[in-house]
Amino acid sequence: MRQALLLTLMYFRAYLRDRTAMFFSLIVPLMLLLIFGSLNLGAFGKVSLAIDDQANNAASQQFVAALEKIDTLTITRDTADAALAKLKRTELDMLLVVPKDFTIAPARPGQTVPTLTIYGNASRPQQTSVGESIINEVVTRLSYAVNQTAPIVNLKVEDVQGVRLRYVDFLVPGILGVNVMQLAIFSVAFALVVDKKRGVLRRLMATPLKPSVFLASQVITRLIMATVQVLIMLAVAVFLFDVHPLGGILPLLLVSLFGAVLFLTIGFALAGWAETENQVPAIAQLITLPQFFFSGVFFSKDAAPEVIRPVTNLLPLTFLNDALREISVQGASLWDVRAQLLGLLVWTVIGFALAVRFFRFDRF
Amino acid sequence: MTPIVTVRDLRKRYGDIEAVRGISFEVLQGEVFGLLGPNGAGKTTTVEILEGLRKLDGGEAIVDGIDVTREPQKAKERVGVQLQQSAFPENFTAKETVELFALCYGVEVDAMALLKQVDLADRAGQKQEKLSGGQRQRLSIATALVNRPRVLFLDEPTTGLDPQARRNLWELVREIRGAGTTVFLTTHYMDEAEVLCDRVAVMDHGQIIAMDPPRTLITALLGRGFTKPVIQQQANLEDVFLDLTGHELRED
Repeated sequence: MRQALLLTLMYFRAYLRDRTAMFFSLIVPLMLLLIFGSLNLGAFGKVSLAIDDQANNAASQQFVAALEKIDTLTITRDTADAALAKLKRTELDMLLVVPKDFTIAPARPGQTVPTLTIYGNASRPQQTSVGESIINEVVTRLSYAVNQTAPIVNLKVEDVQGVRLRYVDFLVPGILGVNVMQLAIFSVAFALVVDKKRGVLRRLMATPLKPSVFLASQVITRLIMATVQVLIMLAVAVFLFDVHPLGGILPLLLVSLFGAVLFLTIGFALAGWAETENQVPAIAQLITLPQFFFSGVFFSKDAAPEVIRPVTNLLPLTFLNDALREISVQGASLWDVRAQLLGLLVWTVIGFALAVRFFRFDRF
Repeated sequence: MTPIVTVRDLRKRYGDIEAVRGISFEVLQGEVFGLLGPNGAGKTTTVEILEGLRKLDGGEAIVDGIDVTREPQKAKERVGVQLQQSAFPENFTAKETVELFALCYGVEVDAMALLKQVDLADRAGQKQEKLSGGQRQRLSIATALVNRPRVLFLDEPTTGLDPQARRNLWELVREIRGAGTTVFLTTHYMDEAEVLCDRVAVMDHGQIIAMDPPRTLITALLGRGFTKPVIQQQANLEDVFLDLTGHELRED
């Protein structure tokens, strides 16, 4: 026990001196969090609308002024040609052309009324449709004002979203999960394949040191590193991005460490299987990359094609991210996420079996 | 003198290849014993069985009274090991490397004293991966001495070293032997065996084909009428090299 502890301290000290390992276990995760956290991908944003006011009369100015009062719209004045070019480059969401004959006056039946033309950016349908309905609403209100009639039906719209979920709130648990995975798989697989190839493990096995003590020191070193990583990420999330993990910090840490144990077993299996350090990145990427995209790190796991979803829903990182997200966003307890924890447990058993099969001290 | 290593009818095969074909020998307490032979003769396999790193297929291997097959852990506690291709964990200093191995044996050591013994005291705080080839071999010997071994196994200790570093290592081996430790080394440098070893065994194709003190083997060869057409030289190129460059170790 004392031996395992001292060995862990020695290896942890060496780990802290390893600049590459520190870069990948702390700097890269922080970069991921800062970059994706500030992207604010999930927010709807504003609708950018260019107006070409060809009438430029009192009526059109009144109409444009009404539009400018609406927060959701970001309005620029531009000529139709210039704005169309911008639309094609997707720098704009919409273009509104106000015709020369624009007036706000009661229309007699049969009289032709001025026609507003809207050009929409087809690649941003959500923004375009919101913009259209806003313009429609403004036109309708101006019509009521002119016709001196009131709307016959009133519409009351209420938001039903309970917790206001920002992208960064969604992102943080995913970032925790993916970085724990990367740390556990890569740090073990790389370090131990190199040690195996260079004969370090063989030299250690020529001493009476028990393999179990050596393995314990390697595992504990990584778990300490994972703890440091998770706490730093959560600190940045809380203090910089104002994220409030509803289920508390401790359950998040515990579930992250459970995930780390699972991915460590895979790291050991990989280190045992690989002959050289050149094989490690290929296989490690093969294992981690699909989970990077299909396990709900940066966007919902439902973004995966429906055909493969039965598989992607069972990936180890999917269980980890789902558990972390339910704790962080919905305030779930450990008991609430027991199904995901069971999934992690099954994977841990599989990983452990693989590690025992491939990581053989008598072969070094 | 009593034998400290006893090998009887030792056999080891890898698939179809019989690497060691029933060899027997004894190493006496306090001697430097050399196992010689060309590459692939079975030297390293034999040594690694004695170190407890490989399982034997047949025969018996006893080190300091312990059967290495039955009690490999106990045997490991009694011997010091320098492997042919071995390295140490990165980001450990020389001193920490010695401490790491002491911890592996569960013993307390004066790491600085050991480093001083192998002439590395001034490199104690340097990362081991930054040491030169000769320095690393000496560090390797320091780590092999942490448990005060009864037998020190050195597998090709001077391969890849320059003449100065080789001589320096020979000196170290003599000192270790002088302190009462039995040394078992393998080499394919005959000059090394001749100056260092009290007795040598010559191995080829998995078998021991000769075993005696180097002088006895040479005398026997001459007795069989062997002559070689040499011009009597009072010096060779290595003497010239060492005269020109000095005996001091070259290490940055």
